[in-house]
Order: sequence, then structure tokens, then C-alpha cells
Amino acid sequence: MHGRLKVRSTEEQKLLKQKEQQKKLRAYKYAMNQVAATRKEIPFNKDSLMLCAQVLSVNPDVYTLWNYRKEVVLQQLEMSKDEEVDDALVSFLENEIKLTEQCLLDNPKSYSSWHHRYWILQRHPKPNWQQEFSLITKYLTFDDRNFHCWDYRRLIINKIGISLCNELNFSTERLNINFSNYSSWHYRSTLRKLDSECLEEELELVQNAVFTDPNDSSAWFYLRWILSDRNVTNEKREELLESLTQLLDMDPDCKWILMAKCWLTGSLSLTDNHFAEKRIMDYKKLKELDPLRKGQYSDYLECAKKAIGTEK
Amino acid sequence: MATPIKDVVLDENRPKTLLAEKHADFIIKLFHSEDNYEFAITDYLRMSGMYWGLTALDLLHKRDKLLRVDLFDFIKSCQDPESGGISASLNHDPHLLHTLSAVQILCMYDKIDILDIEGVVKYVASLQQPDGSFSGDKWGEIDTRFSFCAVATLSLLKRMDSIDVDKAVKFIETCKNFDGGFGSRPLSESHAGLIYCCLGFLSITNRLDIVDRDTLAWWLCERQLPSGGLNGRPEKLPDVCYSWWVLSSLKLLGRLHWISSTDLENFIMACQDGETGGISDRPGDVADPYHTLFGLAALSLLGYSNIKMVNPTYCMPQEVIDRLGLKPQVLA
Ligand SMILES: [Zn+2]
Repeated sequence: MHGRLKVRSTEEQKLLKQKEQQKKLRAYKYAMNQVAATRKEIPFNKDSLMLCAQVLSVNPDVYTLWNYRKEVVLQQLEMSKDEEVDDALVSFLENEIKLTEQCLLDNPKSYSSWHHRYWILQRHPKPNWQQEFSLITKYLTFDDRNFHCWDYRRLIINKIGISLCNELNFSTERLNINFSNYSSWHYRSTLRKLDSECLEEELELVQNAVFTDPNDSSAWFYLRWILSDRNVTNEKREELLESLTQLLDMDPDCKWILMAKCWLTGSLSLTDNHFAEKRIMDYKKLKELDPLRKGQYSDYLECAKKAIGTEK
Repeated sequence: MATPIKDVVLDENRPKTLLAEKHADFIIKLFHSEDNYEFAITDYLRMSGMYWGLTALDLLHKRDKLLRVDLFDFIKSCQDPESGGISASLNHDPHLLHTLSAVQILCMYDKIDILDIEGVVKYVASLQQPDGSFSGDKWGEIDTRFSFCAVATLSLLKRMDSIDVDKAVKFIETCKNFDGGFGSRPLSESHAGLIYCCLGFLSITNRLDIVDRDTLAWWLCERQLPSGGLNGRPEKLPDVCYSWWVLSSLKLLGRLHWISSTDLENFIMACQDGETGGISDRPGDVADPYHTLFGLAALSLLGYSNIKMVNPTYCMPQEVIDRLGLKPQVLA
């Protein structure tokens, strides 16, 4: 259970709550028994399907009930097999889609509801992917960290064939609204294959982000990824190192800048005596600034010391 | 426009030592509360719930306090004779998550023979897809969690030969991200829970070599917040269950020392409920068996005495893994 605050309540409140809970429990058990008893019926039992929807609206994690609904859907599909497009079938499927939407509004992280929705759409004779696309774009404005939404967006994009360029623009847009959104950076990483062409653009974007708010962690992860690419020229690296050194002057206790400097000097010249000595100072400072992770810095410190040892 | 770090502040009067007896009582009470609302209404995750509770109790050296004969009958009755899969409880459908939980419980009690083992193996193998991935049940939801469940179940049963392991590894590899982490499907964002599943998977299949070790270990150690607690993704609140997902991942990568043990220990201790026993996600929240297990398991990895040693791959007592002769990969 997540984020459920423990509250103190009076005896009276407790009794009242217990009564309510017993009522809910009776309803749940009744619905479950009803579904179990009528599950094999053909055609399906309308009351059971309705009871099932009621339980799912309260708790979409009762996975067996979604399975039951899928069995009913398959039954319906089977029945309308030969006809062109069956209006009754379409309205039945639309109803399923509505139910998942209702569940997702209350529980936007319900794995089962997302899966059911897509499962239905895949079997829909006239799926409205465009509508799904608008919906998911809207959902992402409610919570742009919900990874279910991002995953769903990816599925829909593949269905309607949205261009990569469109998604890149979308990602730039999201990042410009909020640089400190890790999900947007991740999404961008999935759209970019690092090559010499896009490197410049990406480096500029991420540099802009880290200079706007050096203490925000998200963009630094992206920067490290960009720097892991061999196509970033030494010239570029030295330029960035210079800018970071200036940034550090303004914010001398920012661990991220120090770390980034170490990535740059490490990949520039692991064996370079001068830089290794600089890194030793940086790692020592990092240990002080960020004691939670001092084990990591110690390991890197040892490496830098070894680098000097082999040089000499 | 500086973004403040999302975190909690630990109260001065928080619990500071392990309330082992209370946690054991908390779990035992749960197993005797069939009429209790919370218990009855969560029957759709009962099998996993029992695994959390029983493993927590075992780690506390209190396994014998809960030897109920009807436990094994219950598990047996949850195996579907047709598919071979195991469900959360009666009136529910078989699923990989609960199949693994049942197998884990029975391995701990050395009672695996009560199951139709061939049936379980057949069920797990039937869920592997042409691309190597696994669906959670016959309805086709794909997730790296299920890849972990599949290989954990089969390795506990010593039947890894029943699936295409190379293909399964290839699928996990396609889920690797720019930050070295893993998500639920290819291109999905990294998440500590799924990173654990993928590393656990690679540990069982002896393929931790495909991991970008230091990039991922850096991402993982950045999960520790000033309160000492760990979050599951950047800019999220700390949560006790991530103590386990992150810590076991670091352990598998040989980088446990990249976070501060004492600070994490303080955080987990602060999430104990001093009245009812049990551990919650954050200080002051309602305790549950899920966070109780993962809090205790994390303390075990940190080397806390009085808690049995836990295996980082299976989240089961190390002695059980030893008894089965399993040696999942751990990087030095
Ligand atoms: Zn949690």
C-alpha cells in the first residue's frame, strides 16, 4: 500500500468505518461469487458483467475480472464474425473502452486497465487511434512522469505512424516547459540515435538545461549519455570543460558540475597526469559535498590515483 | 527556478532499533484474520501476500510460529489443473506472479512436491513469446517483470531447459536504456523495480556481463535522498520497497558500498510502526506485509544481525538457495 497516512480515529469513527467496510466486502464477495458461478455461460450473464464493472471501478487490480470481460468480448466477436461491421459489437467495445477510462481517471497507474484498453482496441473493427492519441497527449499534461502514459503513447504512435520529427518536436516542447522532467529526457533518448549529425543539437539542448539549473539532476544523466559518444570531438569537450569551470565559479558546491568535469577529463585523457591530479581534487571535494555516495567517489579516486601511478 | 528535492524529514521520536517481535506478531495476526476487511478484500493478490508475510517471518527466525497445515492445501488448490499455472487464490485465474510466489513459498518449506511440477513448467514455457519475452498470463501483457518470474520459477524447479534462454536474454537486452537502467518493455523508462527484475533475470541466466555496470550503479546510488531513503526514479519520494529494489541491484553489481548504509538503516527503522508492528512505505503511513518484507530484506543485505541472510536475486533466505544448490551470479 502506498501513501496511505495512518490516522487516529475515535471508537465511534472506527465502528462506523467497520460497518462500511463490511458492506463493501459483502458486495465484493457477492460479485466475485456471481462471476465465478456464471462465467461459463453462453451467452454471457448480463448481471455478472455489470457487477464486474462495479468492482473494477473501485479496484481495477482484480485481474481475474478483466479476464472475464475479455472472455465475454471474445464471445461477442465470435458471434458477429460474418457481418460487415456490427453496430452492436462496436457499441459493446466502446463501452469497454469507457470502463477503462473511468478506471484510469482514478487509478492512472493501473497496469490491468491500460492493458485491457489496448487489447480491446486491437480487436475493434474501427479503432479510433487518433482519439487515443489526443487522449494520451492530454493525460501526459496531467502527469508527465506516468510511465504507463509514455508507454501507451509509443504504442499508439506505432499504430498511426506519427513521424519521428513530430515526436522530436513534442519532446523539445515538453523539455522547454520543464527541463527537470526525467521522463521527457528519457523519451528523447529513445528518439535519438547518437550520430555526428544530431550530437551538436543535443549537446546544445542539454547544456542549456544544466546551465539553467545546475542543481537539478535530470539533464545531467542525459549529458553523461551524450558524452559517452565517441563522436563528441575533443574540441567540443574542451569547450564544455571551460564553460563548466566558469559555472563552478558561480556555484562552487554543486556536485553535478564537479562530476561532469570528471567525466570530461576522464574521457579526454584518462592517462593524462595533469587531469588525473585535478580529478583527485574533485573527487575529494565530492566526498565532502555528497557524503551519502562517498563509496562511489572513493572508487573513482583510487582509479585516478592509479592513472597517475602508471604515468609516472 | 531551482527544483526542491522531494523527500521526507525523519521525526526525532522515530523508532531507532528493530522491533522484531512486533513485526512477527504483525505478520502472524494477518494470517489469522480471514474476517478482516483488508485481508478478505485483497484475495486477488493472496499468494504473493503470503510469500511476503512468510518470507518476512522466516527472515526474523520465526518461521515455525506459522506452520498451518492448511497452507499447503491452499496452495495446491490454487494450481489450475488445465494450464498448470497458479492463481492468487480460489476463484482467481492463474498468473506468473502468483506462480512464482507459490513456488518460492514451497521451496522455503521444502514442500515443492505437492505441486504438479510438470504442469508449472509447461505453464511458464507456454508464456514465452517469439521475441523471447514473457506474458504474465494467457492474455498477453508483456513486461520484464514476467521475464524475471519465469526464470526465477524455472530455476527454482531446475528446469531452465524448458525455455529459449538466449532469446529471453536478447529481449531483456532490448529493454536497456540510455542511463544503463531497464524498463518494463523496450524503450520504457528506467525504474528501480524493473531494474531489479532485469538484473535478477541476468543473475539467474549468468549474463550480468551485458550491463553497463558503472553507469547503472551511478543511477542507482543517486536514488538515495538526504533522509537516507531511496526512491525508484529521479525526482520521486523515498519508499521502503525501493530500499530493496535498489539495494539488491547494487549488490548484484558489486556496488553496495556506493550508498550510505547507516542513513538507509535509519530511514527503514523510521518506517516501523511502533504500535501495530510492521513497516510502511514512508514514516507515518499504514504498515503492510509488502513493505515489511522489503524493509527487512534490505536490512539483511546491509548486514543487520538478528535477520537471516537474504539472497539478493531471489529475495529468499540464503540458506534455502544454498539447500537447492543454486548459485545465481553476483558481480564482485
Ligand atoms: Zn513501496
